[in-house]
Amino acid sequence: MASDQLRLSVDIGGTFTDLVVEERGELRLFKSPTDPDDPVQGILDVLAMAADSDGVALAELLGRVESFSHATTRGLNAVLTGNVARTAFLTTAGHPDVLLLREGGRQKPFDFTVPFPDPYVPRRLTFEVPGRITSAGEIREPIDAQAVVEVCAKLRELEVEAVAVCLLWSTIEPAHELAVASVLDRELPGIPYTLSHRLNPSLREYRRASSAAIDASLKPLMSRYIDGLTSRLRAAGLAGRILMVTSVGGVMDAGDAAGAPIVTINSGPSMAPVAGRAYAAAELGADAVIVADAGGTTYDVTLVRRGEIPSTRTAWVGDEGTGHMTGLPSIDVKSVGAGGGSIAWVDSGGLLHVGPQSAGSIPGPACYGRGGTAATVTDAALVLGYLDPTSFSNGTMTLDTDAARAAIGRDIAAPLGLEIVDAAHAILELTTEQMVRAIEEITLQQGIDPARAVMVGGGGAAGINAVAVARRLGSERLVLPAVGAALAAAGALMSDLTAVYSATVPAITDAFDIPRVDEALAGLRERCLAFAERVGGTRDQVTVTLFAEARYPQQIWELEVPLRSHAFGDAAAVARFAEDFHAIHTEILGISDDRSPVEVVSWGARARVPLRGETEILSARAPRSGEATSRRAFVPGMGIVDVPVRPLATLSAGEVLDGPVLLESPFTTIVVADASRVELGPAGSIVITPVREIPAREAAA
Amino acid sequence: MTALDPATVVAPERDGARLAVLSHRFEAIVRRMSNTLARSGRSGVLNTARDFSCCILTAEGGVLMTGQSPPIHVMGGPDLQAASMNEFYPELHAGDAFLHNSPYHGNTHAADHSILVPVVDADGVHRFTVLAKAHQADCGNSVPTTYMASALDVYEEGALIFPVVRVQKDYEDCADILRMCEMRIRVPHQWRGDYLAILGSARIGERALLQLAEEVGWDELETFSREWLDYSEERMEAAIRALPAGAATASTHHDPFPRVPDGVPLRVSVTVSPEHGMIEVDLRDNPDCVPSGLNLSEASSRTAALIGVFNSIDGTVPHNQGSFRRVRVHLRENCVVGIPRHPASCSVATTNLANRVGNIVQRAMADIGDGMGMAEVGSGMSPSEAVVSGRDHRFGGGPFVNQIFTGPNGGAGGPSTDGWLTMSDLGSGGTLLLDSVEIDELKQPILIHRREIAPDTEGAGRHRGAPGLDVEYGPLGTALEAIYANDGSINPMAGARGGWSGAPSGQFKRDRDGELVRLDICGPAQIDEGERIVARTSGGGGYGDPATRDPLAVARDVREGWVTPARAREVYRVAVDVSGEIDESATRALRR
Repeated sequence: MASDQLRLSVDIGGTFTDLVVEERGELRLFKSPTDPDDPVQGILDVLAMAADSDGVALAELLGRVESFSHATTRGLNAVLTGNVARTAFLTTAGHPDVLLLREGGRQKPFDFTVPFPDPYVPRRLTFEVPGRITSAGEIREPIDAQAVVEVCAKLRELEVEAVAVCLLWSTIEPAHELAVASVLDRELPGIPYTLSHRLNPSLREYRRASSAAIDASLKPLMSRYIDGLTSRLRAAGLAGRILMVTSVGGVMDAGDAAGAPIVTINSGPSMAPVAGRAYAAAELGADAVIVADAGGTTYDVTLVRRGEIPSTRTAWVGDEGTGHMTGLPSIDVKSVGAGGGSIAWVDSGGLLHVGPQSAGSIPGPACYGRGGTAATVTDAALVLGYLDPTSFSNGTMTLDTDAARAAIGRDIAAPLGLEIVDAAHAILELTTEQMVRAIEEITLQQGIDPARAVMVGGGGAAGINAVAVARRLGSERLVLPAVGAALAAAGALMSDLTAVYSATVPAITDAFDIPRVDEALAGLRERCLAFAERVGGTRDQVTVTLFAEARYPQQIWELEVPLRSHAFGDAAAVARFAEDFHAIHTEILGISDDRSPVEVVSWGARARVPLRGETEILSARAPRSGEATSRRAFVPGMGIVDVPVRPLATLSAGEVLDGPVLLESPFTTIVVADASRVELGPAGSIVITPVREIPAREAAA
Repeated sequence: MTALDPATVVAPERDGARLAVLSHRFEAIVRRMSNTLARSGRSGVLNTARDFSCCILTAEGGVLMTGQSPPIHVMGGPDLQAASMNEFYPELHAGDAFLHNSPYHGNTHAADHSILVPVVDADGVHRFTVLAKAHQADCGNSVPTTYMASALDVYEEGALIFPVVRVQKDYEDCADILRMCEMRIRVPHQWRGDYLAILGSARIGERALLQLAEEVGWDELETFSREWLDYSEERMEAAIRALPAGAATASTHHDPFPRVPDGVPLRVSVTVSPEHGMIEVDLRDNPDCVPSGLNLSEASSRTAALIGVFNSIDGTVPHNQGSFRRVRVHLRENCVVGIPRHPASCSVATTNLANRVGNIVQRAMADIGDGMGMAEVGSGMSPSEAVVSGRDHRFGGGPFVNQIFTGPNGGAGGPSTDGWLTMSDLGSGGTLLLDSVEIDELKQPILIHRREIAPDTEGAGRHRGAPGLDVEYGPLGTALEAIYANDGSINPMAGARGGWSGAPSGQFKRDRDGELVRLDICGPAQIDEGERIVARTSGGGGYGDPATRDPLAVARDVREGWVTPARAREVYRVAVDVSGEIDESATRALRR
């Protein structure tokens, strides 16, 4: 890497577009408002801000760029709002309702206000294709190509813009899907389509159909977006490689992303754990990490287990059960609507609630003065003195404390019979509890003991309760990286080119077809090597991780088991694999059944090609401004008292602070409202050791 | 804007902020119990059908906190079970665990194995009870099914009954009890796996409560329990006070069944008294117990009535002993939907009659006033949800037996929405998962030829019921037996407030020539190679007059192929063509 080269990362959020610039291992952070109508303009704006700050022309800055990584919620938002291509779904005859029925599992049995959700592709755009393959891959009924030609005529008539194809057992025998593809090529040239077995070769027709439908529906839109992004950045002078962030915490070339746009759909939360992993390792050498990214509307929790970021195949766009499953591997993330904009309210029985409604950024919390009147978490933080009303978000906003007090007084304090400050504290306490709930849920599912993991906090709103959350979980250490306000964008600079491949070759350890499985594994490995070459690397640069998705017979949850080698070879290796499964089952679920055979549903391979040389830790350049002051703020048990305020930049290595203290940086405030200990870590993060003793109850009524 | 002066507001006696935080903590404990059970359970009925529940009870036996589970499990039974434990074991010790599946002592039915663990503090004081319950793949019945509709009595049913039997003492197994189970339960290994999962779940709940008490103290937890139940009761009282006053009677009829050739007629009287904040449900005017497994247990009678009530009102009211105080359910001894007298069999107490009871309660609620209650949810265990068995020649001809969940019954229309398509039945509340065709074809040698919604089978209404599904499957390279116990083929699911009934369910065999032959409503059915079983599940009832349905919703149903243009015209009085274009003037004329 030439020393004057830059690496950039841009994360488009709902409110702000974050830019992180890396130069010689140092990071700088810029934020500019997102332009919802023209997100690329928002990117150009924040780039111009960086150029201004260096006093150079934009083209000059962009000419030094080695790589530009980009995470966008564009695809996600398009799916959520239904603003996608007019897409048709081609399915096996007799099974038109695959997308409608989903997988059952109503979430709220007593809530009859939620209507049954629409299918991703309506039935009127669903067409049945005669032809049937069995689970053994036998063609029981041949495909009727003439019927497909007739379907194509209807699709033309209906002005369909994209086509998804998912036929039963195409993962075992793809002949029928391929036959449909050749008819589509001939009859509907130029109309993009997605074949389920190519995109997502996994068992369960709903998941595969949903992947294919979402992917096809995004192709026209995302191709246009990526083309526009690329050409406008090039026109502005951008040199270097343009990369897109994927749902599995890696990056890929923008051109490849346009070909399978679904792989970028959950890119939003996928990068925070990459950064969290790096900082937890650099500051404390930890490999079990809880990463909490607190934004304006949601609180996203991700994990690192033994240095790996666990993924899931059951990620939903929208709510579980009523949204649409992506069906593809995605970083496992638990999101709750507990952000700065979450609204606090008291029900008719006198019980306090926070969320799920959010004031968002428009109209926003009462203190924003943009027309919002509801009492939000941000209002509570302001009333408690945790936010500086004059320098919110790097001084771009002034907050109205009186409006916040009025909202909390009216909506919370009065009905609960509390003082305004106590009401504000109650809001934060309940918010903390909701965050803890999200963390407990995902750590439980992934078999991680939260008390033994390091917690990493990121996002603009992280600092308000991160210490309280860590203390509630019994965490020993909390790390708040200096780039925390743009943790995801920073993560994109630390990630690798990645790809995930899978093969559906069911197997069971008491009747294991070693040659067949080994052949499938060899095929997966070959695809990883080919990937490395395709992205411009060499075969020896790629790291291939092979794994099985396995379970006990009759279970419905698969666990991911890393394989010890590239092939099984003999029965002893199969026995070792079964042992590995039992151990992982114990780790995650607390029990194992050592006498039972182990069933493998599918085999997978992850390819990783590093983008950077030796991984030096990326640290943030601290803004050199500010001095130690103090402000009136709330400390539980003491009330409103003078609390020291320290700009982050004034902290020096080796200095140890004991709370209460407020730590301020341009984009976030870290609230230490108790006696927790604060230090500066070797890589520039704030490292906090939460107090351990059980808090004395505050004066009760 | 100025804030209200808190001094002018009457401060409530409870601390609503503290209550909120602690209720989150209790919820988290139940969720943790459920998660453990769901993910470590082995049998398909536990992990696929999610047929299990977890809850926390007060020491006195009041249901304090429940989690997400099939509603039939958790409302009016755990309190009876805890009361039995307290009665039989006046001295409870840390380390105790009790197995309970007796329908005569508060359990739902014999196939639901419950574990109760008393949470006892360091001074030996019983503070709470945790309960985990899961449906078993087998419970030692005389035939290999857990739903033995034809059982004359509990002896013929044959299930092992555990009326609160200690299975752990000082945290150690009472191994003799477990060995007994292993001698009488058909899949002992799988049962043992599920038993461990249930016990593990209860122990996790116990440990979490002990930790919470260490943090905040037992006194605070007891205060919380009292206040949480009071809060819930007040929410329920407020919800009832907002309802119209009135009384209604509704009746229904379960289809004829083995040993019950005329079926079972049922009726209920429901009274809503807003002035007292009370709802009364009277199920006493019903037949005596029948010589069949259809009898409800006391737990399922009460729970079915409670589900009907809670489905009918504000869904955000918590479900616990506090809100239950506002519903009085009158039951009679030796009544088919009351309190069974031993040895009456309750083998299918969680499905067939339970669904009928809940359905008439919610329909009676609807009769009392618009905007509440619901129509009837599809009911019956169709061949689309059969236990299929036979020999699998793909794997050396070994036996296979498994319950498949390929096609649920339709949900009911209600005041706010149309019926839920994959509702399955009232007792499950739609929580069951639906099988993947590929998974079913992989697990057993069958081919699922067809699974799609059946047009025009919805109960028409202002909010229509969900349609039934058509499912067609058959053996592949073998023969199979399908055990099922349907309902709704003769007496379909009624609508409410002028809504129409859903279409009846049906079961047929398609023979080798493609001809359909009607099958009995209650299996087993033998299906040979080349033959197929054809199931039509029950459509849900509609709510309100179909001629008042939003024409745009009717047009959408037509466009999407749920309803034909002819039915739209005749039943909904909307003129719409197959592409969904509404003829406005013709519609106005039709609706005049």
